[in-house]
Amino acid sequence: MQHLKTLLIEVDIDPDRLEMYNLSAAMGPKWAEICTEFTERIKKLGPSPIWWADRDRKTKE
Amino acid sequence: MIVGKQKSFEEIWDMVRGYKKVLVFGCNTCVAICHEGGSKEAEILGSLLRMKAKQANGDMEIDTGGIERQCEHEYLDQATEAVEGADVILSLACGAGVQFLGEKFPHKTVLPGLNTTFIGVVDAPGEFSERCQMCGDCILHLTGGICPITRCSKSLMNGPCGGSNNGSCEINPDVPCAWHMIHERLEAQGRGHLIDIFIPPKNWITSRAGGPRKQKREDLAT
Repeated sequence: MQHLKTLLIEVDIDPDRLEMYNLSAAMGPKWAEICTEFTERIKKLGPSPIWWADRDRKTKE
Repeated sequence: MIVGKQKSFEEIWDMVRGYKKVLVFGCNTCVAICHEGGSKEAEILGSLLRMKAKQANGDMEIDTGGIERQCEHEYLDQATEAVEGADVILSLACGAGVQFLGEKFPHKTVLPGLNTTFIGVVDAPGEFSERCQMCGDCILHLTGGICPITRCSKSLMNGPCGGSNNGSCEINPDVPCAWHMIHERLEAQGRGHLIDIFIPPKNWITSRAGGPRKQKREDLAT
């Protein structure tokens, strides 16, 4: 996971956009908690550089 | 096995930028074992290139794939369709694989995605170290199975030299002295007398000094 985060930096993607969690199928509440936290994290980070690039391309078209 | 290390992403991007259809092509034997050049690594690199290309507003199509070995005709035949559909192939094989792919498809540009580092072993997960320099005239039977050509920093045929210090090489305390290891191994095996045998200067004609090497088994040749 650390290696993949390093690779993401190479392409200007914030490594905080990637995370891995180990959970069993019986850990529903924990899963919901992680999803909520991660969604909040991504919202704070805002759109990714790829989203901006896509938007710029569409604007030009 | 052959150990390789992927080139920096920056160097790879500089090589492939400007091409429209790129095939990132893995080799699933040696360089897959060291987690640098197999199909899985080709997919990861392909994803990174797609992300980079999008941000660079480049009109680039990136495909990924791989075969068991890029150094054999039989396997390369399976790659024909994927290779023909690409403008350029970024091979993650060792130097032999990159060249053989280029020989098989001479009308295609084949780029090296990794640096071939050495022939070595897997010390621990993710750790590799050199064991053989392919000199073409093995003397491991005289040296307790430890190669002084590869593992002695000076490739001495008789040793140790004066730079051996408490089992370490003078170049770096973390590098074990090969001849110290040879002494200990031979003693432990009850073959300590071998250390007294003078090994004459090596004839490097069997190594790279004799030019590019070739070998052929007549009974298998077609």
